[in-house]
Amino acid sequence: MAVSPWFVAKRAFGGRGVLLTPFGVVNPAGVRGPFPELGWLPLAFWFWLGLIAVAVVLAFVLPKERLPKVLFALGGVALLAFGVEALVFYQAAHAINAAALAEGVNPRRLPVKRHSLSLGLYLQLFYALFLFASAKLAEPGGRALFVRYRGVVVPAVSMALAMLAGAVIVWILKTPPGVRPPVDLFTYLVTKLDLVTYTYQLLFGPVLSLPGLFQAFLIATPLIFTGLAVAFGFKAGLFNIGAPGQLIIGAIFAMLVGVYVPGPRFLLLPLAILAAALGGAIWGAIPGWLKARFGAHEVINTIMMNYIAVSVMLFLLSKNEWSFFGHVIHLPFKYPGYEPRSYEIQEAARIPMFLKMLGFSGAGPGHLSWALPLALLAMLLVYYLFGRKLDLGKRVLYALGAGVVGYLIGGFLPGIPMQVSPALASVRLNGAFVLALFAVAFYNFYMWRTKHGYELRAVGLAPKAAEYAGVKIASKIVLAMAISGALAGLAATHYVLGGGIDEYRLKQSIPYNVGFDGIAVALMGQNTPVGVTLAALLFGVLLTGGLQLNLQLGISRELVMVLQALIVLFIAAGGFLPRYFTDPLLAAEVLKKEAR
Amino acid sequence: MELLSSVFWIALIAGALRETTPLLLTALGGMYNERSGVVNIALEGIINFGALAAAVTVQLLEAPYLAQDPNLRIWWIPWVGVLAAIVVGLLTAWIHAVVSIRYRADQIVSGVAINMLSFGLPSIVLIFLYHNATASKEVVHRIYPLSHYLPQLSDFFSSPLGRILDQNPLVYLAFLLVPVSYFALFKTPWGLRLRSVGEHPEAADSLGINVFLMRYQGVLLSGVLAGIAGAYLSIGELNQFVRLMAAGRGFIALAALIFGKWHPVGILGATLLFGFAEAFRIQIGGAGVLPSPILQAFPYVLTMLVLAGFIGRARPPAAIGKPYEK
Repeated sequence: MAVSPWFVAKRAFGGRGVLLTPFGVVNPAGVRGPFPELGWLPLAFWFWLGLIAVAVVLAFVLPKERLPKVLFALGGVALLAFGVEALVFYQAAHAINAAALAEGVNPRRLPVKRHSLSLGLYLQLFYALFLFASAKLAEPGGRALFVRYRGVVVPAVSMALAMLAGAVIVWILKTPPGVRPPVDLFTYLVTKLDLVTYTYQLLFGPVLSLPGLFQAFLIATPLIFTGLAVAFGFKAGLFNIGAPGQLIIGAIFAMLVGVYVPGPRFLLLPLAILAAALGGAIWGAIPGWLKARFGAHEVINTIMMNYIAVSVMLFLLSKNEWSFFGHVIHLPFKYPGYEPRSYEIQEAARIPMFLKMLGFSGAGPGHLSWALPLALLAMLLVYYLFGRKLDLGKRVLYALGAGVVGYLIGGFLPGIPMQVSPALASVRLNGAFVLALFAVAFYNFYMWRTKHGYELRAVGLAPKAAEYAGVKIASKIVLAMAISGALAGLAATHYVLGGGIDEYRLKQSIPYNVGFDGIAVALMGQNTPVGVTLAALLFGVLLTGGLQLNLQLGISRELVMVLQALIVLFIAAGGFLPRYFTDPLLAAEVLKKEAR
Repeated sequence: MELLSSVFWIALIAGALRETTPLLLTALGGMYNERSGVVNIALEGIINFGALAAAVTVQLLEAPYLAQDPNLRIWWIPWVGVLAAIVVGLLTAWIHAVVSIRYRADQIVSGVAINMLSFGLPSIVLIFLYHNATASKEVVHRIYPLSHYLPQLSDFFSSPLGRILDQNPLVYLAFLLVPVSYFALFKTPWGLRLRSVGEHPEAADSLGINVFLMRYQGVLLSGVLAGIAGAYLSIGELNQFVRLMAAGRGFIALAALIFGKWHPVGILGATLLFGFAEAFRIQIGGAGVLPSPILQAFPYVLTMLVLAGFIGRARPPAAIGKPYEK
């Protein structure tokens, strides 16, 4: 905390900043003022040091029964101090800007820009949370609480470890912007720590703006699908590494329907979406069948089928003339030109842009239509309030019906006038995102609310037991792989039908590797519907932030990929936590012991 | 017809040997870890990391010398590159070993993670070193075919047989490793222990064999060999590291391992077959005979057929993929 920057008083584009530390202002790049200077920082530093010392001493001195309450109190004090400091800083920055405004400065050219809290303050927040956590641990039954929520604890710890490792990589590889190497140790440490902090601020930055969030949703859309696909497999005890291949075949099927099948929009669009699912399902069912029938391991087969799918795509798209032993055959699929890509999807088979679904027609003033929000509201209301007594099938059916009614009614209501910024309008978020949320709902219902899902989970947990209970394992495996493949195939709707890669076509450059990212999403989300969604959104945010990282600091956005890989690795190792966090049996023991 | 000319056949055979080498090295490595009961999907990643390490090491080593005299050649520099690839391969395999043996992680998840790491981390290193996300600087010190080292035999190396035999020393190493692996695996006590740990770790343990130690050895060996395969790609075949250099070779090696039924001789046959298919594709682009995408998919389809038992039955080591608990 002593050598970390507490606040960034001002930040220029490219990352050069004015760093406020308890031991003076560090401004190596010579960013010009005015900026807030806080004289009370040394005082605050000694206060925090005292707080830490008190907590450590008390932890040793106090009797066990009284410790939790005292730690809670200390945590409260720490949280309060953190809040006050942040408030005072923003007030100081605001005061300078207000003074400038009073002098008639253009509001776009305020003197203090891009100021923020920094590592020192984050550490204080973490310390406060740490105090709360240790207070909880010191309570009787506290450990059981953490073990019970191990589904959250393990990914969170893994994520923290991955971020730490990422910080080390950045620390080693990058000199802070605006710093010329011969500097004293203090400046060196402060600027390096600031660099690392700024890296993560940029990565998480998209959360703070609407266009950033939309872009994150855009990137998260295929991740939700592939994450669900992998999670679906995991739940049934299958490891589906074949999401990339299933996505490709889904994309080919969607392209075939979208380009070549004539029809009206209300038929063609659903048909194209179903085709994507069907393609993925076929590609998933094959390794499923090979496993059920011949006992061939699905991991190897799905990997092989990824490559075969790529070959199929190349065969269809890279040339229109092939010769087999001198016999020439002609294909109609490749669009003329250098790039291997298909013809354009018909207008009627395209998934509309998300903003259009909300009733906007582009940048500028528009009206937020009530149709979509009202449909959602009606669905949830009917499902949760009025549908309690019905059986599931009717309940879902009525909810969907209510959604349609809500959509129609909402369409006739006058919308809310709103401004759409050009930045927001340029994001290509499309309706596939809504489709992804429906897929999450489907996963939730199928896995946890139906007999089939129950059987699948039984097969996943204990295949022998499930078999004795009368579950036909072979057909379940094929079914599980088919549905898993269908979910992965649906990810193609985003790219081909939704224009996720700038054009409404199937292109060879379709980023099918998101199928692998689905593994990270499923693990991070611990195979739960909410978890998978959140994990996909998290990676969506990070990947969006990665763009800024590249732009401002010149750090490759592949850093996000490295973080993803490390998260997977650490989750696989159980976050390096004690065994009872990863082993259900040991966890049950802890829970039992602590319950006594 | 061009297909029948001897020039074509010589180029095809020489090309096939070149294509086979990285597959063979990697598949033999994979054989050691799978025989010890650990799945190693990470082979692809290890090749990538090995290739990166070799190219970067050679480039950094040669730069000061070349700055003095651009025509200077120093014989040991490429071999240090190979050594670096081995060390990095070891390190990567060690991560896989620790996570999957010590922390009993799902071995496939761990392997996937390492592969993902190998897709991302090289870019960061390359941007740091060369301000280029996709490729390293080209190096001068490569590992050359034999004719480069034995200029006095240039007459022989221009004969048809000589042109086939004029290969990189690493090619010879790969093929030499086949009998060596066979001997190590089936004729030594160490090989028996390695296999027993993969078949029935409890029984092996009760006989006093250290299961964890044997598995570590198996996995680390695969790291060494896949690392060499990486070095062969970046400073043997080519003269730089390119992102995603392994280009699926780790997975084809895995396929060859299964196709070869976890046996050195079988692996040799499988990798030669896949190597020939690839060389055939490169030599004639498949034109006239078979479309190149179909040739590309050939090893994968074959492997699936073998796994399903349509072409002989492949039986993996019994305890494969299961973490061992004492």
